[in-house]
Order: sequence, then structure tokens, then C-alpha cells
Amino acid sequence: MKLLDVEIVENKMIANGIYLLSFESEYLAKAFKPGNFVNILIEKNSIYPLLRRPFSISFVKENKVFIGYKVVGIGTQILSQKKKGDTLNVLGPLGNSFLVERFDGKVAVVGGGVGIFPLLSLCHELKKVGNEVDVFLGFRSKSDLFFVDEFEKVADNLFISTDDGSIGFKGNTVEFFKTKVGEENYRVAFSCGPKPMLSAIKSLNLPFKCYVSLEEKMACGIGACLCCSIKGKEDNMLHVCSDGPVFDIMEVDI
Amino acid sequence: MLEVEISGVKFKNPIIAASGTFGFGREFSKLIDLNLFGGISTKGITLKKRTGNPQPRLCEVYGGIINSVGLENPGVEAFLNEELPFLRRFDTKIIANINGFSKEEFVELAKIVSPLVDMLEVNLSCPNVKEGGMVFGKDPDKVYEITKEVKKVSACPVIVKLTPNVTDITELAKAAEKAGADAISLINTISAMAIDIETRRPLIKMVTGGLSGPAIKPIAIRMVYECFQKVKIPIIGMGGIMSYKDAIEFFLAGATAIQIGTVNFVNPNAVSEIQKGIENYLKNHGFESVKDLIGNIII
Ligand SMILES: Cc1cc2nc3c(=O)[nH]c(=O)nc-3n(C[C@H](O)[C@H](O)[C@H](O)COP(=O)(O)OP(=O)(O)OC[C@H]3O[C@@H](n4cnc5c(N)ncnc54)[C@H](O)[C@@H]3O)c2cc1C
Ligand SMILES: Cc1cc2nc3c(=O)[nH]c(=O)nc-3n(C[C@H](O)[C@H](O)[C@H](O)COP(=O)(O)O)c2cc1C
Ligand code: FES
Repeated sequence: MKLLDVEIVENKMIANGIYLLSFESEYLAKAFKPGNFVNILIEKNSIYPLLRRPFSISFVKENKVFIGYKVVGIGTQILSQKKKGDTLNVLGPLGNSFLVERFDGKVAVVGGGVGIFPLLSLCHELKKVGNEVDVFLGFRSKSDLFFVDEFEKVADNLFISTDDGSIGFKGNTVEFFKTKVGEENYRVAFSCGPKPMLSAIKSLNLPFKCYVSLEEKMACGIGACLCCSIKGKEDNMLHVCSDGPVFDIMEVDI
Repeated sequence: MLEVEISGVKFKNPIIAASGTFGFGREFSKLIDLNLFGGISTKGITLKKRTGNPQPRLCEVYGGIINSVGLENPGVEAFLNEELPFLRRFDTKIIANINGFSKEEFVELAKIVSPLVDMLEVNLSCPNVKEGGMVFGKDPDKVYEITKEVKKVSACPVIVKLTPNVTDITELAKAAEKAGADAISLINTISAMAIDIETRRPLIKMVTGGLSGPAIKPIAIRMVYECFQKVKIPIIGMGGIMSYKDAIEFFLAGATAIQIGTVNFVNPNAVSEIQKGIENYLKNHGFESVKDLIGNIII
């Protein structure tokens, strides 16, 4: 974990309100593991936005770090206006990472909305060690699609769902995933997405391990402020920034 | 130049990490040198472990954040066994921030903890718990009573941390002084609220929380200034310090030392930047010591 000043290489819109930002950092590119995130100071000496913003590292390429993000509020709005050559102060890598190993059977990766971002590098790593990977991605509508080409290249099977049915399966991606769970012999699942989606996965009571990446409002990002706490299964407190963001779905109260 | 003394405790510089914003130092130690701090006030501890308040506990507003952590902490035993030995490895004064839900609990904690730390900070001001905390801290009689009892048993000097959520904070300052407090620290967070207009729900699960950060600085400065007129014991000032300039304001208003909280989340290097800034300010203005600044406002 380091505090770094980085220069933006590229910051472009890749879909409706969705951006891909890249910057050069040999340190982060080397230290990064899928699931890690960074805490970005969007403006120096700003009182609004004041806090850093947490974003997953989507993937790294050579010494370049890529962050995919959706514009939702003041911070991401300002971020989207940054240009090549602008600098950002970045704290990272933060948090734990997804478990990457050779599983004895198929692997399912389920992503929804901006939760899709941290899953791309995960798929690459899972493939690298020899897994067969099925990917389920959920979007609102056809015009919201992003990263589909990239996932196509790495997934053994890619299943797209949209809420409005404009492309792929109509409905929510967990519903579709559920049908496949009956057909395929998955050994493990990895997921990231909005809380209702993760709760839906939990309620499937999957007969195999499922690891999810969670989000909570964060101030420090390193385990000091206790703002991002969630309850563990034994009423113990877990911190999304430092114990997570990746958790065994059965170990957390979601 | 930067040294200050509070009731016999020598701080090598007047910058203290504010309770609740710095954990037990462990997390930040991976990022910055804890030796840079004159002191560290630990996350508020209670006798028993506490899980704190439900999510969401945090939201951002103009110039500040509202939190409702609710004193999540591992309890005094874990503090003494696991956290304190780690903190003791650094050359910085350790201030234990203690919280009780009754007078007896404050006394019990003071007995257990005070022989092992440099100072106690009796938190009579947490806005995020239903009992104890601010409920005691708003009443000068309770402040007097608890301070007096804690002083009787404490093996180290005692700071009383005051709440700004009152009409006249100097009444609390005077009560603490009268009861024998060695210093007072102010301000804790200001009771505040924010609403999401889309969902029409409060942004904090507990509806209200405590506001900290730059937005509260002018209020904190005013309160330090007012208390400085009314009590002789040293004041530790805090609330919205983001830079050395803010720190200097607190000294001029009457603070002997300062605490930095919210800024740690934004800029973990703040401690060294503020330290250098104070040093330069002293040099540029011909002051020999930070002590020359205390209360040195020209009205
Ligand atoms: C570990 C982690 C990884 C994330 N990865 C990504 C990612 O790869 N891509 C992406 O688009 N988004 C990601 N998010 C969500 C992202 O942090 C928020 O969308 C962003 O902070 C919103 O900032 P804003 O100023 O635009 O929104 P505002 O709503 O104006 O922000 C107000 C405050 O809420 C906080 N906040 C708002 N939404 C969230 C949220 N969902 N999680 C945490 N804090 C939030 C902000 O940091 C800020 O303090 C991640 C969140 C976490 C916790
Ligand atoms: C997340 C958070 C947790 C806090 N927890 C405590 C605590 O446990 N005990 C305490 O005395 N003050 C606590 N405080 C208050 C701070 O110590 C400080 O008084 C306040 O934040 C004002 O300073 P600042 O504006 O520099 O942050 C907390 C503040 C924040 C932001
Ligand atoms: S964000 Fe501070 S503890 Fe997680």
C-alpha cells in the first residue's frame, strides 16, 4: 500500500455514463491482485468532494492500471472530466483479493452493473491457472453494455442478461444463473454487483462456495475509521475495506 | 520549538491524532511514520466490546462528513493486550479515549487503563450512542461528577472531551476544571443530518450523526476562544483542521495542542505537512515556540 501521484494516460467514455480511466504505475501494476481497490483523491484541497473515492482496479496491462467507473455523483462527475496529463493522488492497492487457484470443476463468475469491473482481471487469472469459466453479466439495457468483447475473449461461455430484454436473456442475471446451476457442475462462484443481487445469490443456497465483493461507504479505506463495518455471521464486525472487499458469502450478513 | 507540555506530559510536537479517526495506529503505520505525531488518541474504548451502529454509518456533505460509528471497539481487554503494546513501540504519547455508560464504568476504565497510558481522554461527548457520551456531557453537573470520580482513581493526567452540542460550552469547561481535569479537548462532532431527496430517507441509518471536517472549524475556533477566556487548564483544540493554517488559528484562539481527525482520511501525510507548516510560520513570524502563539490573538 502506497500513496502515489499518478498521471492520467486516458479517460474515455466506453458506454452510457461509463468511463475507463488509465494511469501509469509500475508499483500498482505489480502489486495488484484481482479484487483489490484504490482510494482516489479526485481533487486536491477540495472540500466538496472531500473524501477519497474507492474504485476497483479493473485490470492492468504492462505498467498501466485501468479503472472502470460509472458517473453517479459529484466525485465521479469531476473524475469524468479529467484529461490525459492531469494528476490524481491514489492510495492502494487496498483490500483483499479473490481466491485464484485451479478448481476441480467449472467456475461461475456473476457480475451486475459496475460490479462487472473487478471481474475481468479475475477471469484472466482464473483462466491462466487452467479453469473453465462461465461468465454471467447483467446490464439494464443494450445501450449500457461494456467490456463484453473483453469477456468474450476470456470466458468459455458468456451469458448476457438485460432488465429490458433488449439483448440476451430478459430479466435479472441471478435468475438466469440459477437455471445454469441446475445444469452445470460448478465448483465455485465469484460475484460482484448491487446488494440486492448478492442477497439473491445468497438465497440460492448454492451447493458450492461463493465469494462476493462488497461495497460500503468508506472514509479511510484502510481499517481505521470503522465506517464500512458489516456484521459477520457470528455478530462479529468485519470491515469491507480491510477484511474485504471479498468475502465468503456465508460469512457475511447480506 | 514545537514542544508543548500538558500537566507534566511532554509532547514533542502539538499534533495529536484525533480519536476514532486513527484506529489504534496500526492501520496508518503501514503508510506513515507514527513517530511524527506528538500524541495519538486511540479509538474510543468501552469496558465491553461493542459492535456499533448499523449501516449506513457515513455520508458526505458540503465540507464535511457525518458519521454514526457508535463506538464500535474491541473492548478494554483487547485494547490492553493487543493494541497498546503495538502503539508503545513508537515515540509518541498515548492517550486512551474512554467511554462509559455510567459513572461507574468510567471509573472502572480509568482504574484499569490509566497506569498504562500517558493520558486519559474522558469522552463525555459521543453523539452516536443512546446512553452515556453526550447525554452526560451536556450536563455540567454530570461532567463535574464524572470528572471528579475519574480523577480520584486515575494514575495519569485526565483530559475531558467536550461536546459542542450545547448552548454554552464554557459551562462544561468550567465544570471540568472545577472537578480537577488536567485539560479539556474540544470539539467533538456536531449533531447533524442529511436526507437523500430521491429515496426521501436519511443518509445515516440512525437518522442523525456527528458532523466533522472543514465545515465545523469556525464553530470549533469560537468554542476554543470562549473556553480560553473562562478556564486556566490547557485546551486541546480540534474540528476541521486540514492544514497548518487551520492549526495556527486554533493556537491563536487558545489551544495548547491540536488534534487532527477527518483530514487523515483525505491526506494521510497531513501530520508532516502541518508540522512543517507550523515550523515555517513560527520562523517567518519571529516566534520561538508554539507556546508563544497560544491565545495570542489580537482583538
Ligand atoms: C471497494 C469498492 C470498489 C468499488 N469499485 C467501483 C468500480 O470499480 N467502479 C465504479 O463505478 N464504482 C465502484 N465503487 C463505487 C464507487 O466508490 C462510488 O460509485 C463512488 O464513490 C461514488 O462517488 P460520487 O462522488 O460520484 O458519488 P456521491 O454519491 O456524490 O458520493 C457521496 C459519498 O458516498 C460515497 N459512495 C457513494 N457510493 C458509494 C459506493 N457504492 N460505495 C462506496 N462509497 C460510495 C462516496 O465515496 C462519497 O463519499 C466501488 C466501491 C467500493 C467500496
Ligand atoms: C469516524 C469518526 C469516529 C470518531 N470516533 C470518536 C471516538 O471514538 N471518540 C471520540 O472522542 N471522538 C471521536 N470522533 C471525533 C473526533 O475525534 C473529532 O473530535 C472530530 O472528528 C472533529 O475533528 P475533525 O474535524 O478534525 O475530524 C470521531 C470522528 C469521526 C469522523
Ligand atoms: S473505510 Fe475506514 S474502516 Fe473501512
